[in-house]
Amino acid sequence: MRHSGRDTARVLRRALQLTVVAVTLAGLGCQIKLVADYDEITDRSVTALQREFELFFIDVERNLYTPDAVYDNYIGFYDEVRAELSVIRVRAAARPKNEITVEQLDLVAQNVDNLEELHKLGFESPEELEPLRAAFQQSFQAILTLELAKKRGQ
Amino acid sequence: MAIRVPSLAKQMLDASRGVLEESWPEIKDYAKAEFKKTAESIAMIVRLHAAGKLTQKKARLHLEIQKNASRTVLLTIEGMGIIAVERAINAALGAVRDTVNTAIGFRLI
Repeated sequence: MRHSGRDTARVLRRALQLTVVAVTLAGLGCQIKLVADYDEITDRSVTALQREFELFFIDVERNLYTPDAVYDNYIGFYDEVRAELSVIRVRAAARPKNEITVEQLDLVAQNVDNLEELHKLGFESPEELEPLRAAFQQSFQAILTLELAKKRGQ
Repeated sequence: MAIRVPSLAKQMLDASRGVLEESWPEIKDYAKAEFKKTAESIAMIVRLHAAGKLTQKKARLHLEIQKNASRTVLLTIEGMGIIAVERAINAALGAVRDTVNTAIGFRLI
C-alpha cells in the first residue's frame, strides 16, 4: 500500500509531537528538584541560635530598669550571634538551590543590626521587648518551617 | 504505540492539580497565622508610640524589624510554593511514566 501525501504529513506530525515530548521529558529527567534538600545541621544550628535569642530577651527583661540592661553589657552577645549567623549562611550558600534560605538568613542579620541600634538607645519597658522577641521568633520559625518542608515527606 | 498528546497532557494536569490542591491549604494556614502575628506586633508599636514609650526613631527601627520578619515569612511561603510545584511536576511525570516508556520502547522516565 502506498502512503498518500496526507498520510505522510500525519505520520511526520505525530513523530514530531513524540520527539518534542521525549526531548522535554529527557531534559527534565526522572525527578526534578527546584529547592535544596533538607539539611539537619542548618536545622540544629538555627534552633540553637533561636535559643540564644530567647536567653537574651529573658536576660534583658530581668535586668530592665537596672544598669545591667545597658548595651555595653551585651556586646559579646551581638558578636557571637553575628559569627554564628555567618557560619550558618556560609553553609547554606554552599548548597545549590538554597537561595531562599540564604536570603532569610541575611534578613535576620539585618535585624540583628536593627536590634543593636535599639539596644544602644536603651530598652525602657517589657512591652517594648515583646514585639522584638516575636519578630525574631517568627523569623527563626519561618526558616525552620521551610527547612522542614524540604524534607518532602522523607 | 502512538502517544496522544491531549490525553497525556490531561493526565499530567490531573496529577499535578491534585498535588497543588493538597499543598495550598497548608500554605494558606501558615500565611494567615503569620500575618496575624505581624499585624499584632505593628499594632503594639503604634500603641507604645502613642503612649510615649517609643520615640519616632525607635518606632522606625521596630517597624524595620517587623518588615524583615514579614519578608522572611514571605520567603518561606515562596519556598513552600516552589516545593509544591516541584511535587506537582514530578507527580505529572509519574502519571505518564508507563504510557511514555511503553510508547518509546525503553525507560525514558
